Amino acid sequence: MAGKPVRPVSAIDQTRRMLSLVTYLRERPGARVSDVARAFGITEDELISDLDVLPLCGTSFRGGDLLDIDTDGDRIWWRNPGALGAEAAEPLRIAADEATALLVAARAVATLPGLREGDRQALLRATAKVEAAAGEAAGASARLSVTFESEGGVFADVDRAISERRRLWIRYYSPGRDELTEREIDPIRLVSVGHTYVEAWCRRSEARRTFRLDRVAEIRILDEPSAPPEIELRDLSEGLVQPAAEDPEVVVEVSPGGRWVAEYYPHDSADELPDGGLRITLRAPDPASLRRLALRLGRDGRIVSPRELADSARRAAREALAAYDVPAGDGGPAARAKPSVGEEPRVGEGLPEGPHGVQDGLYGRQEQQL
Amino acid sequence: MAIAKAERLMNLALCLLGTRRPLSKRELRDSIEAYVDAFRPGSGAVGSDDSFNRMFERDKDDLRELGLVIETVESLDGEVGYLARRDSNRLPPITLDAEEAAALGLVAKVWQQARLAGAASGALQKLRAAGLPEDVDPYEAHGALEPHIPVHEAAFEPLMLACRDRRPVAFDYRKATAARPEPRIVEPWALECWRGHWYLAGWDRDRGAERVFRLSRITGKVRTRSGKFTAEVPDVVTVRETVASWAGETADRSALIRLRSGAGYPLRAKAVSVRELGDGWDELEIPYGHGLDAWLVEFGPDVVVLEPAELRADVVDRLRAVAKG
Repeated sequence: MAGKPVRPVSAIDQTRRMLSLVTYLRERPGARVSDVARAFGITEDELISDLDVLPLCGTSFRGGDLLDIDTDGDRIWWRNPGALGAEAAEPLRIAADEATALLVAARAVATLPGLREGDRQALLRATAKVEAAAGEAAGASARLSVTFESEGGVFADVDRAISERRRLWIRYYSPGRDELTEREIDPIRLVSVGHTYVEAWCRRSEARRTFRLDRVAEIRILDEPSAPPEIELRDLSEGLVQPAAEDPEVVVEVSPGGRWVAEYYPHDSADELPDGGLRITLRAPDPASLRRLALRLGRDGRIVSPRELADSARRAAREALAAYDVPAGDGGPAARAKPSVGEEPRVGEGLPEGPHGVQDGLYGRQEQQL
Repeated sequence: MAIAKAERLMNLALCLLGTRRPLSKRELRDSIEAYVDAFRPGSGAVGSDDSFNRMFERDKDDLRELGLVIETVESLDGEVGYLARRDSNRLPPITLDAEEAAALGLVAKVWQQARLAGAASGALQKLRAAGLPEDVDPYEAHGALEPHIPVHEAAFEPLMLACRDRRPVAFDYRKATAARPEPRIVEPWALECWRGHWYLAGWDRDRGAERVFRLSRITGKVRTRSGKFTAEVPDVVTVRETVASWAGETADRSALIRLRSGAGYPLRAKAVSVRELGDGWDELEIPYGHGLDAWLVEFGPDVVVLEPAELRADVVDRLRAVAKG
């Protein structure tokens, strides 16, 4: 189930790793290459490349005592563990960046609503111990923080269904169509990237689908076993929504007040316009689902193409206005009631006037096809 | 071929860790193969003393990045020497059980940013060397949970370092609705990731006030400025609350709307009360915060705002803009 970890490549990372490796190998004569690679979270090739460097290292100012570390590709032998002296291979203290990386991530995961209580307790205990061991180096970790959002009850049910390999029934909200649909899904994994999602095999569409937990209106664990087909897990680190090249193109022009569109919607291009606005080209499997965006933009932008999308937004707006008993186009008193919010950011530096799109949570939530 | 940097750093680290007396720059230069090789007399390296000094300083900085505490000691005859004392570099005793180890194993894979991903793995490796149990596969232990911390913003790393080292920074920032970016000088306090986006809180020197910035709106490079912070850093920096209020998360009033039956599930989920009107419409009382007008407009003809009048006017105003096309 492991996601693809990011491979450290810098000389600093390799040096850090080799220093720990020396300590580790000293305690374990004849350690297996495969075991050591797993313990260090690296590939066997990476380990072998470290083992190629180590025999060239030592405390050479004392007369050339290089480390006599050797491998036959299966086991690793260190023939002169005394070369570094009695104390010189002790575990090293944790650096500020290391403490920050571990502690910030641990605190974020520990606050995930729905995490199993046992796991949360283990995480909190580990965090406290690492914090104590890191000492002063832990201080800077308070300057970084991350919140994952999740629906605790839904999370717990999905987590249980995955570990018991059972099918789920959900009632799920699709913002693009503003409708709730019922489906049975075979859950594969939970992914938190700001929001938390379940990746699953959807029995209704017979396809892989990703569902955002806060859009699950109802959930039940079924008695049937879950049987997702063997599918290759995607690397989701670059974003959950990856529009396909064959999806229809949508072109939107926005004024400065609508620039947030480029921050919330994955897009092919965003070209600057002379007035400080943008011309954004994006792709959507179902352009009709972008009617919400067109309505939301108001005077801060317009759909250039496809034409049907622009027309349907216009029609929807006229129909909505009819209920207010005001004419659609003449700029009655209400039309000047207030500048559009985009012109007047309310607080501080001004966020987009209401986030929606892939990563947001609160109001809108356009998320194509999720 | 030049000797690989990792080999050079490793030898320098082992020399500094292995010695009981400070080693002079000369001793280090003469005994570490990578230095001997690069700065051999007659190797043709112009100004080789200067370039050795620069390389040596950089190498020491790199070792400090990975946590090595290197002391600089001046001897009685004025010569400067270096050493990494065992007692200031030794990891204090730490014992973690299998469950705690599994938890850390999961956590070490969370960062998507190269520097912090490397640091997290590095920390875990140091703990492994100190005996962290390794018989549990963290993914087995935690079911299929994959938390990722996304970092797409180029400004993240320089700002993280500036927050860590408390260094003022300068950058160009484009406000949400501004056409052009403006230069800012900021004393960075803290970074926070919320809903997948990174924000910076700090002291804006020109405005003489605390400000929160969204990293994706920083254009161009973040440059570090010399000098110290001038404003006091608050004990608690609250980025999230500020951002949440921008996002309309803090509702202070409520609104009354009509919603077509079956439509607008998220509105229903947030509603304080729902009353069936029986004619294909329901009446909902919902929290009214910043941005509600824009959200309601998304539902087109399925929503009609009843109260308050201000919200009704805002929605009508927005609908008119779209209707005119």
